[in-house]
Amino acid sequence: MKAKMQNSKVKLQVGKDQKKQVVITDSGKYVVALVGEGAHVDIVGVFEGKGNDEIDIDVEIRHEVANTTANTHIRGVVKDRARVKLSGMIKILKKAQKTNSFLTEKVLILSKNAQASAVPNLEIEADDVKASHAATVGQIDEEQLFYLMSRGLSRMRAKKMVVEGFLAPVKEKIASGL
Amino acid sequence: MSRFAPIRTAEPDLEKQGRGYKYGFGKPTDDYAFMSKPGLSKRVVEQISSYKKEPAWMRQLRFTALEIFESKPTPAWGGDLGSIDYDKIHYYLRPTDKQEKRWEDVPQDIKDTFDRLGIPQAERKALAGVKAQYDSEVVYGSIKEAFEKQGVVFLGMDEGLKKYPNLVREYFGKLIPAGDNKFAALNSAVWSGGSLVYVPKGVDVKLPLQAYFRINAPNAGQFERTLIIADEGSRVHYVEGCTAPSYSSESLHSAVVEIFVKKGARVQYTTVQNWYQTVYNLVTKRAWVEEEGVMVWTDFNMGSKLTMKYPSFILAGKGARGETLSMAMAGPGQHQDTGSKAIHLAPYTKSTIISKSISRGGGRTSYRGLVSIAPQARGSKSKVVCDALILDPLSRSDTYPTNRILCNEVSLEHEATVSKIGEEQLFYLMSRGLNEEAASKMIVAGFVEPLIRKLPLEYAVEMNRLIDMEMEGSVG
Repeated sequence: MKAKMQNSKVKLQVGKDQKKQVVITDSGKYVVALVGEGAHVDIVGVFEGKGNDEIDIDVEIRHEVANTTANTHIRGVVKDRARVKLSGMIKILKKAQKTNSFLTEKVLILSKNAQASAVPNLEIEADDVKASHAATVGQIDEEQLFYLMSRGLSRMRAKKMVVEGFLAPVKEKIASGL
Repeated sequence: MSRFAPIRTAEPDLEKQGRGYKYGFGKPTDDYAFMSKPGLSKRVVEQISSYKKEPAWMRQLRFTALEIFESKPTPAWGGDLGSIDYDKIHYYLRPTDKQEKRWEDVPQDIKDTFDRLGIPQAERKALAGVKAQYDSEVVYGSIKEAFEKQGVVFLGMDEGLKKYPNLVREYFGKLIPAGDNKFAALNSAVWSGGSLVYVPKGVDVKLPLQAYFRINAPNAGQFERTLIIADEGSRVHYVEGCTAPSYSSESLHSAVVEIFVKKGARVQYTTVQNWYQTVYNLVTKRAWVEEEGVMVWTDFNMGSKLTMKYPSFILAGKGARGETLSMAMAGPGQHQDTGSKAIHLAPYTKSTIISKSISRGGGRTSYRGLVSIAPQARGSKSKVVCDALILDPLSRSDTYPTNRILCNEVSLEHEATVSKIGEEQLFYLMSRGLNEEAASKMIVAGFVEPLIRKLPLEYAVEMNRLIDMEMEGSVG
C-alpha cells in the first residue's frame, strides 16, 4: 500500500500487523503513528531543491505500542539558492517495548548559496529498544568526479551521475513499493 | 568531585531512596565570616561588591546583569526549572576571613571535610596547584613555583581582579556577556570565586591545574566565574571537580566559564561533576578559538538534580579545532540535559563531539547540541556521535541535535543510537562465570571506556569507581 503525502500536515496510523510505505517528496509535517502490535512502516523521502525553493520536511514517527518497527530514509540535493530543513523525530513511548526504529537524513549541497539544516531527534522512554539516527550534509566527492571525468565524462555529466547515484537508493525503494 | 573518590562503595538504604549521598555530612554554618541574607536584590549585589572592594566598573557590570536577570524569563525549553526559589538562596558566603597560604593555617573544620573526602597528603603536594573552593572563596591554594617563574597566573577570581584588573577587564564577560542567558546574567550579578588563569606565549603547563569546588552551607548558591586565557602557542589543562555534602533543601549552582584560545594554543578543560542530588547545575561554558588553536572539553556529569550545560566552542580562526567528550549518568530523580555546541566561523575548522549517556532507575538523559557552519567556513568538518544506554524500563533518553549548514564545501556527520545492554553480551559474559551485576558493570565500563581514557589517570580510576558504585544494585 502506498500513501502519497503532499498536503502540509498529514497524519497516518499504522495498525496491527499492517505494513505501509510512506513517500515524501514535498514540504510538510508528517506524523506517522504505529498503533498496533506488529506494525511496520517504511518512510522514504526524496527531494531536489533549486532556484529559491524552501523545503521544510518534518517527520514524526510515534511508536505507541510494543513490537513495532520503522525505517526512515530521506535523501535530497539542494542547488542555486535553495534551502532545506529536515526535522525528524522518533518517539518511543513507555509501553512500546521491543521496538526498532531507524532514521537517516542525507543532503548534498551542490552550490555555494544553498543551505541545509538537519535536526534528527530521539525521545526514548522504553528500554528494550533499538533506535538510531544519522544525518550527513556534504558536497560531491571530488575523487568521484575525478574518476568519472577520467573515464571521459564532462564535469557536468559526472556531477549529474553522482547525484543520480546518491538519490538512487531511495528512488528504487519508492519504485519497488515495499 | 573526582580525586576524592569515595572509599565506601554502598549505602544501600539511602541509595534506594535515591537521596543517599556518599558524603552525608553537612557542616554547621554558624562560623561563617560573612553570610548574605537569603534572596536577591540590588542591595545584596551592592553588599557583595563593596565587601570585596571591587572597582566601579565591576560593580556597574553586576548591576546591569541583575537588571537583565530580572527581565529575562526562565527558559522553558530544557529541564524543569520551576521549583527554584531565588528568594531562599544565599548569594554570598565567605567561610574564613583571609586567604590561607599554608595548609597548617586552614581551619580544622574545613580540613575535616577535605580529609573525609580522602585527599591523600602526598597527592596534595604533587598537584600542580590546588585551588579548593569551599563555598564562595578560595580558602586554600598553592601554585608551584615553577609556574610562577614561567609567568603563569593561577589565582582565585577575586584575587585575580585585584592583582590583574586590566587583564580581567579586557576579557571578563566578552565571550559570555550577561545578556547571553538568564543564568549567565545571574552569575554576572553575584559571581564569587572561580579561577583566573593566564598562560603566556609558548608556555606549556605540564601538570593539570586543578580547582576543586564544594558547596557546604544549606541553600548556598555557588556562582563561580572562571576566565582562562591561553596566549599564542601555549598549552594548559584545567581540571574542575565537584562534590557537595548532604542537605535537604534545593540548591543552585550557576557558573560561567570563558576561555580564550589564542593562535596555536591548546586548552583542555575537564569537569567531573558530582553535585548532591538536590542541586540545580546550570552552567554556561564557552571557548573562543583562534587560528590553529585547539579546545577540548571533557565533561562528566554524574550528580545534581538537573544539569543543563552545553560547553561550546566558537572556531573563529582558520584551522581551529574543537572537541567535546561528554558523559552523563542519570539515576533516580535526575535529569542530565547536556551536550555541546560547535560554531564554525572560519575555513578549515574541525569539530568532534562524542557523547555517551546512561540512564537508570527512572533517570533521564538528554543530549542537546548544535553544529553551525557559517558560509565562509569552507572546508570545515564536523562529526557528532551520541550513544545512549537505557538500563531499565523506567528511564528515558532523548537526543536533540541541530545541524545548520550554510556552506557547501563542508562535511557533516551526525549519528546517534539508543539501546539497552545487549542480551548476547550479557549471555556471553555470564557463560564465562560472571553474575548479571558484574557482567552489566563490565559492559557499562566498556561503553564509557573511550571517554574515560581521555581523563588524567587518577580521575580515570575514580570515575570507574564512581560508575561502579552508581551501578550497585541497579540490576535484578
